[in-house]
Amino acid sequence: MGGGRSAALGRRVEELTASRSGVIDAAAVERRRIQRDLRNETQQRLTSLSVNLGIALATNPDLPPAVRETVAQAHEQAKQSLVELRDLIRGIHPEVLDERGLDAALSGLAARTPLPVRLRVDVRRRAPRAVEAVAYAVVAEALANAVRHARAGLVEVVVELTASRLRVTVRDDGCGGARLSAGSGLRGAAQRARSVDGTLQVHSPPGGPTTIVADLPC
Amino acid sequence: MLVAIADGFVAMRNDLLRLLGAVGIDVVREAGDPYPTPDLVLVDARVPGGLCGEDVPAAPAPHRRWPSVPVLVLSPQVEERYAVELLRTRTRGIGYLLEERVADVDDFVEAMVRVAAGGVALDPEVVAQLLVRRRDGPLDRLTPRHVQVIGMIAEGRSIAGVAVALKMSDSAVTRYVESAFARLGLTPAKDEYGRVLAVLRFLKAAG
Repeated sequence: MGGGRSAALGRRVEELTASRSGVIDAAAVERRRIQRDLRNETQQRLTSLSVNLGIALATNPDLPPAVRETVAQAHEQAKQSLVELRDLIRGIHPEVLDERGLDAALSGLAARTPLPVRLRVDVRRRAPRAVEAVAYAVVAEALANAVRHARAGLVEVVVELTASRLRVTVRDDGCGGARLSAGSGLRGAAQRARSVDGTLQVHSPPGGPTTIVADLPC
Repeated sequence: MLVAIADGFVAMRNDLLRLLGAVGIDVVREAGDPYPTPDLVLVDARVPGGLCGEDVPAAPAPHRRWPSVPVLVLSPQVEERYAVELLRTRTRGIGYLLEERVADVDDFVEAMVRVAAGGVALDPEVVAQLLVRRRDGPLDRLTPRHVQVIGMIAEGRSIAGVAVALKMSDSAVTRYVESAFARLGLTPAKDEYGRVLAVLRFLKAAG
């Protein structure tokens, strides 16, 4: 009896593992489709809009001041929307991550963070794509957390790859108090870590500092 | 100045034609032989099946038909890694900008002129990424203002260009550049291009 039950459980684990990986793959495909549509349609149209407003401004020096002011504002708004749209598109999944790996993708992320970020990526081979995507998402969420809540002055990001694990550490010198509470971005990052059988730990005493460590088997 | 818009520049072709026409820059088409060699080629990083594979924009590359003509690559996204790869192909007459920079017409025209003359135009987003990579080191010896000035030099700008952008005098910018070079241990540059290249080398963006 015990043997039959354990065999059934074994089969169930296999089924669940396969279906989980199918769900993860399907979600990744869907994310890429949304990203492509945003880039090839919305971003293109918005770029065209700001270019044409720019041409109007540059080639009509004699516009009445009120008209010029209105066009200039529309120009600025279109450009700002493009910045936000690009952030959104890249946040879905950065292409550079697939093409050039974590080191290249994280330098872009760090440069767009409005805080000084020290980045050290010690990765000599490519980890599986799903694991890289989780590591990127963890760093993105940890940086967002440091910017939004921690009042931090400096963030340090270290990524190390050993024979069997990818370890991501994000440390900030802010005020601490980060929690894995329901609905928080960090909770989402922890769930993504679990999706590849990894763990995410948050050490963030009141008063700081905050250390977030993701440990991902690969 | 004679500018060519590379074949396959689908997304922005009409906007670029309108812009170049409006500011009085002559345009040639790539297809067809009787045309003279242009001073600058505009290349689209979105080209389907071309520079960027399927429809995913990726690493830009110099132009195939006019390999020695200055090239300005416009991309819906820019990455420091791609810029470094592009600069490995050459460090003269090369530009890599977000396509939305075209919307600031005067700046864009200035970048085209600079690249056509053999200079460099790197997107500020690329420079920001290059600076992050060097943050853990000698950049600590610079003030934020120094870093800002050095970053604009890395974009390929002249002293006068930086002065206009930062609303400073030329001589103030020169002083910042000189003291930044001294703090970083860089040899003072003889001319504008030498200055840009020295900073790009320091940022490990050019060999």
